[in-house]
Amino acid sequence: MATSSHLLLPQALHMIPRIPSKNLGVSSLIPSVNSRISLSRVSLNHSSSNVGFAIGSRKRREFIAKAEESSTVGEDTEAVPEDVAETVEDNEVEEAKTPWKPRTKLGDVMGILNQKAIEVSEKVRPVPEIRTGDIVEIKLEVPENRRRLSIYKGIVMSRQNAGIHTTIRIRRIIAGIGVEIVFPLYSPNIKEIKVVSHRKVRRARLYYLRDKLPRLSTFK
Amino acid sequence: MAAALASRLTKGRSLLGGLTNAFSGLVSSSSGSILSQQQRTFIQMGTRLKVVDNSGAKEVMCIQSLRGKKGARLGDIVICSVKESATKVDVKKGKDAIQKGKVKKGSVVYGVVVRAAMQKGRVDGSQVRFDDNAVVILGIKEKKTDEKGKEKKQNYKGGFNQPLGTRVFGPVPHEMRLKKQLKILSLAQHLV
Repeated sequence: MATSSHLLLPQALHMIPRIPSKNLGVSSLIPSVNSRISLSRVSLNHSSSNVGFAIGSRKRREFIAKAEESSTVGEDTEAVPEDVAETVEDNEVEEAKTPWKPRTKLGDVMGILNQKAIEVSEKVRPVPEIRTGDIVEIKLEVPENRRRLSIYKGIVMSRQNAGIHTTIRIRRIIAGIGVEIVFPLYSPNIKEIKVVSHRKVRRARLYYLRDKLPRLSTFK
Repeated sequence: MAAALASRLTKGRSLLGGLTNAFSGLVSSSSGSILSQQQRTFIQMGTRLKVVDNSGAKEVMCIQSLRGKKGARLGDIVICSVKESATKVDVKKGKDAIQKGKVKKGSVVYGVVVRAAMQKGRVDGSQVRFDDNAVVILGIKEKKTDEKGKEKKQNYKGGFNQPLGTRVFGPVPHEMRLKKQLKILSLAQHLV
């Protein structure tokens, strides 16, 4: 969206000199115009031309109303219904436009997709709340192993939130060597996640465990 | 402060660490934060590796990676030179028995990397990394020319499937199955 804002500024600058009138109505139109433009780059040119047209027509209509008002006092009543008629027209036109759904902005798309994917995954297997410092046991189905489920136990060193690819990093000392495995939480291969216990930690990422004694990373 | 920054510019990694302080959570994925830990990389010429079988060697130095331009990863085969081997005092009998006189210091051997400090991604989205680098020796590389001066045939094209030793220590990853090192898988104490 940085590029679109870059394009936005010349458009805005270009538009301002075209509106020399002091009409409050027109100036109030500008913020709404801006918000409409920020939606997408594709419709940028399209909307700007629309706006230009709209402002021009608004100006013309207001000018006509002014002229009508200024001509005779007696025709004030006529001028007023004209104004009212115009506003009613505007409202009608706007109402014909507004009953559509609120448009999903481009920036929200990934968030919505991730939420949907997580919902689907949660239906199959609900994921418990896992935080750093939990000692968990994960039952994994490995297509290579084919026989039984592999069991991975260990302390959660970190949790990286990234929508559907939210991962946790498990550390454990296996056969004398420290092993760290990163598991995607919502993977269909994971058959079960169970929080066995919890250790009090004062950090979000426990990378210091790598330098510490193996005793601290051993879990029976 | 500019001078300090400039001096930091010479080291590629620390510059990144200093500038992307706020974004280190996003930038560094699962390989550990760049600020406090070193980025684990490939196994290349000069890397010392631990030997985890009973072939006779203890520590080995990689002199060539047979796969990958930047170096070997978990499961790749490397050519190594033995830097330290088991002395005569060590176990001679029993299960742990060191294969007599198989690998001596200075000999050039082929080995497969069974544990790497660099993370290896798997198809299901998980990643695995160990705390050390380790090899299992597969075969001894013979000299090109015979004693008599004739050129001997090199036979490494066939692929190495049989380790030299009879035991493997420590955990072994599933990647061995993909690399057709089934014997090592069967000898392993623990499969990761």
